[in-house]
Amino acid sequence: MSTVRLNAEGAENAEKNFLQKEAGTPGKTNPRLGLIAFLRLCLSRSCRGFFSIFSLRSLRPPRLSLRPHSPDWGLVFVYALVLALVGAGRAISPEFLTHKYLMQTALAVALLGIVSVGVAFITYSRHYVDLSIPGIMALSGIIAVSALKYGFIASLAAGLAAGMAIGLANGLVVGYLRLNPIIWTLAMMAVLSGVIRKAYGGAQVYPDAATDAGRAFLDLYHVEVLSIVPLPVAILAILAAAGYFLMRHTGFGAQLKLAGSSYEVARMTGVNVRRAVMAAFIISSATSAAAGILLTSFNKVGAQYVGRGYDFAAITAVVIGGTTLAGGRGGILGVIGGVMVIALLSSVLSLVRVGDFTFGEFEKAIVQGVVFILVVGAGSYSRRKSGLDDA
Amino acid sequence: MTDSGMALQMEKVSKRYPGTLAVDNVDFAVHAGEVHALVGENGAGKSTLMKMIAGAFDDYTGRILIGGREVLLHSPAIAKANGIQMIHQELSLAPALSIAENILAGRLPARGLVVNRGAMLAETRRCLGRVGLDLDPEMPVEEISPHEAQLVEIAKALGNNPCILVMDEPTSALGREEVQRLFAIIGNLRRQGLAIVYISHHLAEIFEVADRVTVLRDGRRVATRPMNQVTPAALVEMMVGRSASDLYARRKTRPGAQKLRVENLSRYGFFHDVSFGIRAGEILGLCGLSGAGRSELARSLCGIDPVDEGHVRLGGMDVTPRSYRAAIRAGLAYLTEDRKAQGLALRLDVAANILSAIIPRQCTAGVYFGGRGRGILGDLVRTLQVLPPDPSRTAGTLSGGNQQKVLLAKWLAADPEVLILDEPTRGVDVGAKVVIHQAIGALADQGKCILLISSDLPELVGLSDRILIMRKGHLIGQLPEDRRSESAALLAANGVGDLEPA
Amino acid sequence: MRSDTGSRQAQATGPRPGAAAGRALALAYRYRVYLLLAAIVAVMTAIAPNFLTSGNFGNILKAAGVNLPAAMGFNIVMISGQLDLSIGSAMTLGGMMAVGLEPRLAALGLPPAMAWAGSFGAALLAGLALGLVNGLLVAKARINSFIVTLGTMIIVQNVVFIYCGGDTLPARSFALADGFQQPLVWVITPLILAQFAVAGLMAALMRYTPVGKGFYLMGGNPQTAWYSGLRVDRYTVGAFVLSGVLSTLGGAVVAMSEAVANPTLGDNALMTIVAAVIIGGTSMQGGKGSLVDSAVALVLLAALISGLNCRGEGYEVQLMAGGLVLALIILYDAYAEHRREKKRGQRQDLLRELHGGHI
Repeated sequence: MSTVRLNAEGAENAEKNFLQKEAGTPGKTNPRLGLIAFLRLCLSRSCRGFFSIFSLRSLRPPRLSLRPHSPDWGLVFVYALVLALVGAGRAISPEFLTHKYLMQTALAVALLGIVSVGVAFITYSRHYVDLSIPGIMALSGIIAVSALKYGFIASLAAGLAAGMAIGLANGLVVGYLRLNPIIWTLAMMAVLSGVIRKAYGGAQVYPDAATDAGRAFLDLYHVEVLSIVPLPVAILAILAAAGYFLMRHTGFGAQLKLAGSSYEVARMTGVNVRRAVMAAFIISSATSAAAGILLTSFNKVGAQYVGRGYDFAAITAVVIGGTTLAGGRGGILGVIGGVMVIALLSSVLSLVRVGDFTFGEFEKAIVQGVVFILVVGAGSYSRRKSGLDDA
Repeated sequence: MTDSGMALQMEKVSKRYPGTLAVDNVDFAVHAGEVHALVGENGAGKSTLMKMIAGAFDDYTGRILIGGREVLLHSPAIAKANGIQMIHQELSLAPALSIAENILAGRLPARGLVVNRGAMLAETRRCLGRVGLDLDPEMPVEEISPHEAQLVEIAKALGNNPCILVMDEPTSALGREEVQRLFAIIGNLRRQGLAIVYISHHLAEIFEVADRVTVLRDGRRVATRPMNQVTPAALVEMMVGRSASDLYARRKTRPGAQKLRVENLSRYGFFHDVSFGIRAGEILGLCGLSGAGRSELARSLCGIDPVDEGHVRLGGMDVTPRSYRAAIRAGLAYLTEDRKAQGLALRLDVAANILSAIIPRQCTAGVYFGGRGRGILGDLVRTLQVLPPDPSRTAGTLSGGNQQKVLLAKWLAADPEVLILDEPTRGVDVGAKVVIHQAIGALADQGKCILLISSDLPELVGLSDRILIMRKGHLIGQLPEDRRSESAALLAANGVGDLEPA
Repeated sequence: MRSDTGSRQAQATGPRPGAAAGRALALAYRYRVYLLLAAIVAVMTAIAPNFLTSGNFGNILKAAGVNLPAAMGFNIVMISGQLDLSIGSAMTLGGMMAVGLEPRLAALGLPPAMAWAGSFGAALLAGLALGLVNGLLVAKARINSFIVTLGTMIIVQNVVFIYCGGDTLPARSFALADGFQQPLVWVITPLILAQFAVAGLMAALMRYTPVGKGFYLMGGNPQTAWYSGLRVDRYTVGAFVLSGVLSTLGGAVVAMSEAVANPTLGDNALMTIVAAVIIGGTSMQGGKGSLVDSAVALVLLAALISGLNCRGEGYEVQLMAGGLVLALIILYDAYAEHRREKKRGQRQDLLRELHGGHI
């Protein structure tokens, strides 16, 4: 808080001492030249004239500096962590940087990454997380398997459609009816769980390996693109690129950023906030559906427990990557960084051997939880110090 | 109290903020058993003086005496301990708790670990009795009306047995008879020997309830008079002083044909049957006391709030808005009075804020080209002299004046046909004010319509071509051309003086 | 600041049809948990065989009681304006510690009663420690409570898994468990008694002590709380400590009464508890809520599930039903809030004008 006040005071003092040369006029392609030029003309005229009491003559218009944005420290921090982990891994084991090992590591978290890319949109819009993600994943997988009899493509389409239908419902309720996202998606998860179990009688659905479609489905997870990149990793890369583009380079992304920073302000700027939030939920459900189908392929069975734990794991990755719960900050690059941190942490810990002690699945999860709190705490502390009030 | 009867004495107190002297050598005193009104325009120093009494500052100069003894009023706790209680405009009650739990917050009587319910209820009834409220002390606060909540606030303040009570705009949310009841209570408190400082914009009320009045202007005390020795007109003259609107140049361009027409606009419970027109290139000022419905009118005009009856026509076309987006597309824009919570996304940078209203225009087939805005961004930052001229600065780190410039830039970038400005220079330093005024004038010269809502009377009178008066949700008329002055405007807003039809 | 504008407008403008209905509706809304409970019991009695038997009633109380202590703690945290996601894991932890430590203490030579008391105490201490960590991180380090408790939830969950290797942990003997489950009066067992007594104690704390009122004040208006002299940080930490202790207590008591610690005890707890607390009327923003209503909501949910069970419906339908009830409640809440918002800030005198000038 005091830092912010200092800046304001500094600005006021600067106003008194400012003496800069006026910038040359760049060539304009702006159709709104008329208004602005007109304004400037009026201002400069009156500058010389009537308002001498305010000594504006001593205050020449300052030069506009279009410096690049100051670095996003959250992003820098995450990737510094990534590098540190890579370094640690390399130090412990020379095999760490081999292509094979790295691909393994990437594959292990590819699905988490896919889900996280979608969840990032929801967190970005200040709506925390979608707790019905495990249900969406399971549903998509089961529907996909059930639809295999109509063909492979149909099965994929059906699975995605099912997942996105849930996303649409969530988006409508949270976006338009403004219900609390945590409570609503919790309720939705319960209903989904029940529906899935009921519809399939608690049984699991197996892809029929006798059919072409069934075989294709079972092999799906193990496909290698260009013989080196496992399909899930490739899909992650594509979705991450698409997500990055969507968030950074579309009108939707710009509006979502505004809505996430301040819902009220976005509303008072004429942004269709409700539709933007709904879109965020639909995007998240789409990525979750994709991940659910892939996971089902990996499991070789459609079941209601598919996707368990992905909701909290995804928000962990998203927040480590610098997308704060307060919204409007962070991005896909950070999410990928967060996912990488989780992957590398797990990898590195696997290599650690202290006497007889090795890091099993549970021990790694504990370390991850501790790292999570530390990283987020540090981020929140540094943001508060630099005067940005953030969660 | 000492035998001087002087409950509160402030001698030559001053408070300096960086860049301004908010209170300048003011003498202010209140007797026990007196209601002393404090009036002045926005920015005159009333709220700073009030905060000083409440102990918000530890760096004021001058002496403060309570009951004849000098006190260093450096913290709210000290103020409380010296018998000073403040009743703010914003309610400080917790909605889910009962009346009793709110009134006795922090000092619930307890027997051991458990609340002593009997003592709590008795004490609460005692407090409520002092304000004449007969409510069930265990009723949750969220179930009582705003008027009753206001009284509960007063009861809460009284529960601390103050000698000095400061009331800040206590009637802003109240209707006629509720105000009367409040005055009756104030009369009682007066008789009980409390010293009451009463701050209000509503001159009529002050004449009803106060014994003396002190007028502040630009941080200085202009005069202190007994109520029976002043008239409203005289008060206004003192509040406003020499007409500062003379500093504003009369604009050269004359307004053209009528462009915006508002017909019988109503939003039930907020404003009724408002009709007026704005010509091309005209700045129409809208004057009224707080609570008159000006902002509500503006918001409904732009579709932010619903419209129950009436039409809005722009250039002959019916643009009665169903949503703000539709209104913006039609060419209307609203600059909010709350730049921090509704105007600017403080966590984003200046560039993002300025370009936030024209995002669709920067897109082709959904793809956002941030670069397209760079030209207009640069122009606006330069023209409005935003300091520091760095578009990547976080908006929250700018000074108030620069934040307001950024907010104005945002709507200038949208290039509306009709721009509604709500308190465009509130909390803004002099230099920024000038730039903003020039920009407004330039905009009007371009042929746009401007609706100016402002409590800054010199600004309102100086900039506007015509001035409309709103009072209690109705548009009561237009200020005649020959009587355009701040005094006349303020009197009209209080219901005094004849007006032309709008 | 909300006023029941429906009925108040009616008073201002003279008697209108529906004014009495408006008041009745408001009353129904206030006591909705009880009405819902009555409705569910009625419906289930009609459609489910063997629902209205004393044995079943005992089952309902037992099912509700499992989550009851943790729900009380969660409710306190929510009232003071925060979230605690770690309650489920804490319950599991409590169960594991109570059942797991008892043999070790007995091996040290302590008689069974002392051993159980010791392990129970240790479980409570663990809850205290967890609550302290949560509370301090939220209050002092100022990290968002969602994040902190998400982290601690994961950590505690996995600590438990390491400890038990993913398997259930049986107790040495069934003696204590039998004692817990032996009905004292009608169907009330010492287990149910203990759980409801703890809940009652917490409800009394919130309703009758200054400390409880302090939590409400903190959640309802933090500024005022500070001005009134409340030590806000202490209250924050205190809320989380209470939540931690109550959660481990709940888990410990259940494990002791079943003579086995189940690593999945807390899995569905979070969802059920959140549902109960919201149905019971606690607001996500804080400052509002009733522990008693949340307890009734737990019973209501247990009754719903039990009824469906009696009908032979499986677990899946129970889940769906719980989710649907929660969804309906929050949908209605949003609707009510929407209507209030529309009326906020209206001038009564203008409205009176509109309706013909009644005073």
